[in-house]
Parts: sequence; structure tokens; C-alpha cells
Amino acid sequence: MKKYLKYLVGILIVAVGTGAYMYYKPHQNIKTAKVDISLPAEAVFTAFESDEAAANTKYLDKIVAVNGTVKEVNKNEDGITTVTLDAGQDMFGVICQLDELTKHPREDFPIGQKVQFKGVCTGMLMDVVLVRCVEIID
Amino acid sequence: MKRFALLFSLLVFGFTSIQAQKYFTRDGKVTFSSDTPIEKIEAHNQKATCVLNAADGRMEFAILIKAFQFEKALMQEHFNENYMESGTYPKATFKGQISNIEAIDFSKDGNYEVTVAGDMTIHGVTQAVSTTGNILVKDGKLSADATFETKPGDYDIKIPAVVRKNIAEIVQVTVAVDLAPFNK
Repeated sequence: MKKYLKYLVGILIVAVGTGAYMYYKPHQNIKTAKVDISLPAEAVFTAFESDEAAANTKYLDKIVAVNGTVKEVNKNEDGITTVTLDAGQDMFGVICQLDELTKHPREDFPIGQKVQFKGVCTGMLMDVVLVRCVEIID
Repeated sequence: MKRFALLFSLLVFGFTSIQAQKYFTRDGKVTFSSDTPIEKIEAHNQKATCVLNAADGRMEFAILIKAFQFEKALMQEHFNENYMESGTYPKATFKGQISNIEAIDFSKDGNYEVTVAGDMTIHGVTQAVSTTGNILVKDGKLSADATFETKPGDYDIKIPAVVRKNIAEIVQVTVAVDLAPFNK
């Protein structure tokens, strides 16, 4: 009977431990995350514009690396920086929202500079949106 | 004559741009929170787009579900995969109308209480909703905010019995957008 109890306690500890581990599982470390797809900003924009459903299946939740020129930089009152990359469109582009959980080497991006970001693709509203972005510096 | 035509078109365009003023943002904030004795869940989305037509009071919002950031990775995963099924329904939208638009003087600074009613689409389900909010006019720009309650059940979002007690039946949603004039 006592032996049986010992096993039970053991199992319980493992179960609670696993549960807690899963519950407190950290967010994916975007800095070390592997890039799934790498392409220019125009290409990802065109993909969403021409066939949104297909682009959703292809890009949603993927770590996408986009390269392009800086069109606009914004910082909101929460200190979150957003960089819009030119996608060859008048109004819209590819929006890269910098990751809140990562320390960025810089959050200042001169307009017109060529940059590359990787982040999680969340889809298209008017622009294609990538969140949790970090700059890829090579 | 040519000059007159130019002047005329300038006048007309100038006039329409004042009349049909649109306000726009792509950096709107949407936050929701679910509060139960067991757990408090909160998520932020900083990338809501919003267009407000000052001429007729029509208002449109759109957000990407996957752009909601949670404190805990597991919550975010469950939210996207199990409840919102954001792979299938990547967006939530609202299309509505400010009912007392004529009460707002967009050319003068001031704070206005507004009522907005329209259709909200979440998880592929559309519901008629209505809420009150505020619009602050300052230096030709607008800051609009509203807080309202929504029920996951209304949008066919199923919460499994195991976590039923962890997730509130009524979720509070806060929307805050800074809109700038938009001339195109």
C-alpha cells in the first residue's frame, strides 16, 4: 500500500511539473527562430493581394523574412516601433511591428534604407502585417 | 478660360476634400480581457485599421486575430488554434455607423460622446452590436475610444469544459484609435 502511494506521489509531481512548464511556456525566441520563408516585401504583398486565401495558408504563423526599403517609421505611446516597408504600392506596404520581448540593436530606421526583418506573418488588412519582428543584420 | 477651369477644379476639389473628410489609422489598439477568480487573461493588438468617414459617420475596423499578443505563449496558442481558429478566420471586422455624427464639429477641438452601431464579425459569425464611446477632436486629429462587452458564445466560440471556469463568459474589449485626416 505504501509503495503504491509513493508511485502515486511521483506521478503527481511529474504531472504538476509538466503542467506548470506548459502553462509558463515562454514565447518563441524570435531572435533564434529559423526563417521559414525569405522574400522581398513586394513579393509577399503581391502574394496576398492576388490570392489572399492561398497566401494565408502559405504564410500565416510562419517566420517570414522580408527585405525592402523603409517607407515609414512609427513609434506609439507604448514604445512599440513599427516599420513599413515599401511594396511598390502608393498607399500600402508591409508592416513590421518590432518585438516587445526582444532588445533591438536599433529602433531608428532612416527612410529609404534597405533593411531586412524577420517576424511572424499575421495576414493582410490593407497592408501585410508581421508582428514580433527583429532586424536581420548580416 | 483654362485658368478659370483650373481654379474651378481646385475649388471643387478643395470643397470635396473638406466635405468628404476621411480619418484613418493603421495603428489602432484593441485590448481584451477576461477576468475570472481563477485567471486574468489579457491580450493586446496594436495593428487595428480604422476608417471614419466624417461626412456620413460610417466607421470600419479590421484587425488580424494572430496579431494579438498574450502574456503567456500557451494562452496565445489556445486562443488562435482552439477558440478563434485564426487560421480559418484570420480577421475580425466591424462595420458601423455613428448615430449622432451631426453633433460632432470636426473643425473645432472638443470631446464628443458618440453611439456606434453596426455589424461585428468574429470567428466568421456576424452579430449586430452597439456601444457608446468618445471622440476627441484636437488639432484636426481624432482620438476615439470605446469599451464594450462581448460574449464568446455569441460568435460560436466554444470553450471546453475543462477551462470553462478560467475564461469569462463576458469578455471586455477596449478600443483606442488615433485617427489622422486622410486625403486620397
